[in-house]
Amino acid sequence: MYAMRGIDKRYDAVIACQDASLQVEPGEIRALLGSNGSGKSTMVKILAGLVKPNAEDILIDGKPVTIHSGLDSRRLGIATAFQDLSLIPTMTVLDNILLGNEPKGKLGMVDRQQSLADVVALLDRFHIDCDPDAYVQTLMPSMQSMIEVAKAVFLKPRLLLLDEVTAALHRDEVELIFNVLRELKAQGTAIIYVTHRMNEIFEICDTATIMRSGQTVAHVSTGEVTLDEIVFYMTGQRPDTEEILETESLDHDGRDLILDVEHMELYPKVHDISLKAYKGEIVGIGGLEGQGQPEFIRAVLGLTRPEEGTIAYMGEAVHFRSPADAVRHGIGFISGERNREAMFPDRSVGENVFAGSAAKGALFKYLTAKVVRDFAQAAVDKYDIMVGSLDHPASSLSGGNQQKLVVARWIAMNPMLLLLDDPTKGVDIHSRREIHKILRQCADEGMTVILSSSENEELLEIADRVYLFYEGRVSGMLSGASKTPERLVAAMMGMTRENNGATKEIEPA
Amino acid sequence: MIDIKRMFSRFRRTPAFIGFTLFVFVLVLNIVVQGPAQFFSTRNLNTLFSKNMPLLLTTMAMSPLLISGTLDISIGIQLGLVNVVCIMVFQEWGVSLYVGFLMGILASLVVSALCWVLVSVVRLPSMLASFSLIYIVRGVNILIMDKPQGKVPAEFYKTYDSLIGGVVPFSALFLVTVLLVWLYLMRTKFGRNIYAVGGNPRNAFAAGIDPVRVQFQAFMIKGVIAGLAGICLTLMTASGNPLQGEAYGLRALSACIIGGLGFGGWGSMACAVFGAGFLVIIQNTVYYFFNLLYRLIPGFTVTSYWQNLVSDIIIFFGLLMTIVTAKGQRETLKQGFVKQFKGGESVAE
Repeated sequence: MYAMRGIDKRYDAVIACQDASLQVEPGEIRALLGSNGSGKSTMVKILAGLVKPNAEDILIDGKPVTIHSGLDSRRLGIATAFQDLSLIPTMTVLDNILLGNEPKGKLGMVDRQQSLADVVALLDRFHIDCDPDAYVQTLMPSMQSMIEVAKAVFLKPRLLLLDEVTAALHRDEVELIFNVLRELKAQGTAIIYVTHRMNEIFEICDTATIMRSGQTVAHVSTGEVTLDEIVFYMTGQRPDTEEILETESLDHDGRDLILDVEHMELYPKVHDISLKAYKGEIVGIGGLEGQGQPEFIRAVLGLTRPEEGTIAYMGEAVHFRSPADAVRHGIGFISGERNREAMFPDRSVGENVFAGSAAKGALFKYLTAKVVRDFAQAAVDKYDIMVGSLDHPASSLSGGNQQKLVVARWIAMNPMLLLLDDPTKGVDIHSRREIHKILRQCADEGMTVILSSSENEELLEIADRVYLFYEGRVSGMLSGASKTPERLVAAMMGMTRENNGATKEIEPA
Repeated sequence: MIDIKRMFSRFRRTPAFIGFTLFVFVLVLNIVVQGPAQFFSTRNLNTLFSKNMPLLLTTMAMSPLLISGTLDISIGIQLGLVNVVCIMVFQEWGVSLYVGFLMGILASLVVSALCWVLVSVVRLPSMLASFSLIYIVRGVNILIMDKPQGKVPAEFYKTYDSLIGGVVPFSALFLVTVLLVWLYLMRTKFGRNIYAVGGNPRNAFAAGIDPVRVQFQAFMIKGVIAGLAGICLTLMTASGNPLQGEAYGLRALSACIIGGLGFGGWGSMACAVFGAGFLVIIQNTVYYFFNLLYRLIPGFTVTSYWQNLVSDIIIFFGLLMTIVTAKGQRETLKQGFVKQFKGGESVAE
């Protein structure tokens, strides 16, 4: 029996887990469920030895243990298959599966003949049709996911952790994995299964632990609960599948269509997404994490090129060659990954505000400090952004103020269309409000805003219309009176209403 | 016949293939320019091996580091350290030169351990840390030996320049020994771990491997091979010079890249050998090519700087070709994905 109790994990001020608990018996398949940022991945990483919790109490068969590394985790009979894969792309399938578990042969050498037979048998068991000597990086993502699971099973663990491993898999591949899981269950292996696909829980899992905001809110048996109840535990909302896919009943008052994306396909995350944004509107993009939202926004920006579909901007079909091209056409982009994608942390606040406009002007135009200062000051004054001194380095600001700074930079350029990818990630509530206020003010002045967010409250609060993404498709579009928390949750979980009124999950691709 | 074909197609997919192609290309060029009889004379082969063994070994010392995802450009001046330690121990302590060799390897191991601490434990960027090490090691070299001096007994350097059985260059023994030991290591657990750590340290850690420890082992192997390179340098020059060898570091790095080693988990020792071989042979070829020009065109003379310019331009194109080919391989892979993906979907429909 594996049990975790009173797990706490904090990243600075952000709480990932708080007094969370989880318990699994041999021969039990337990689902670990939760919405965005609920801490389920953190729980998996703690058991895998990748994250060290601030407070922990992990018991195996009643005896307390500590897990401080991947090695500790393996020694305790735990094997993990990760969502973002733990395979080494530059190594072969054989070497990856054997990694850390190589059979010893003569003179301390690895016994390749012995291992080859074992690995071929393993690949057969999962019906994986690939050369054991092929480099993993040359394989399709779905095959890599299968190998990731096979690798964990190969360790013959007492506890198997599967973290959203089916996200990239087809239905028949999922079935193959389920067959193996049932065999393992019969042999007495304990299994913890993390997924966002609700139908899989009822198909394979015996019990479920549900987390919300880092806390364990319920331990249930899947035979005794309904889908609606599980979603309620996860989100605090009863799902309502009424009218989540309303089409073209938009009251745009004859406003101009600014962005019109039709049937965008972008391998492997985006499948057939259509989205419209009108002038002066705030369009929200929501859903569980990893359903294609960032990929979609980056494709609109020209960072990646979609394989299918059209993007029309201000009535003209466009294909931006690069983000710089998109910016020239009056598009702004703000990323939640401030340090990586949006800010120059060592430059001053003023220079950071000015940076976007500098890219627009003539390359060798002579700039004085005063030009930069005045420009930044005007932007800061207009939108009432408290940034402290303009001369301090941007890294001296708090996360919330840094993000306001990035917003100010783009607003100052007065774009036609502003794309925001989870801009309030890790931003305090006060700064978040101010950012919302600025965005609303801009929208009222005629700017079109597309905002992707992992937080439902934010979408409901600020967006005029919300598109929900599920497995790379639009699972719901809410506006006006249909924009309720219940409907948003239903669309986020990919639930849809059948003709007879019963709710079910949208079939994955 | 089919077997050979399959083996070739498998070899084509290995990282060493580009380096191998480049190496064979310049080798053929060299044989043509110099004349086969001249080139294959034992004397010429012996000179090729004995004069270039330091570079070859330095490149081989660099490769475990690159595979494990780090590097050390101060490797060059470390040859100088091994050189001065060998000579000074022999000269000042009055002991056998073999003791000097041992102390030289020990010195190389100590510097390697220092570099490991900076790069793997303290986690400084490896390029910067090893660049600063160049100046530290150079300072230590001058502390040990303030000016070029010392002599290696004749029997040592004569053995180094000799031919075993009149055929095999003695210096080639170093190469063969290192290769054999490396081949053995690659078949042990360490051989898997080093690629895992270079390929993705986080995932290696999740698989129960300690990346810091594996990098330490890589640094120790590098230390031993660099020590051997320093000994070859000592035997080749037959004297001590605290400031020599520095250029070997960057040349070894470029040889690795030309040979097809990537930064982290990609490539093999064969890449290092082919890459270094390419650098060596191209310079040889250009030298004989200019000799040919002198003979064919009466009155044609240029300084040797022109030879360096020509060979460096060719090396530049070699680097370019490696990078372009590697990019091409990746692109084909990506297109393959999309094709497979779309094929899979149409089957599902």
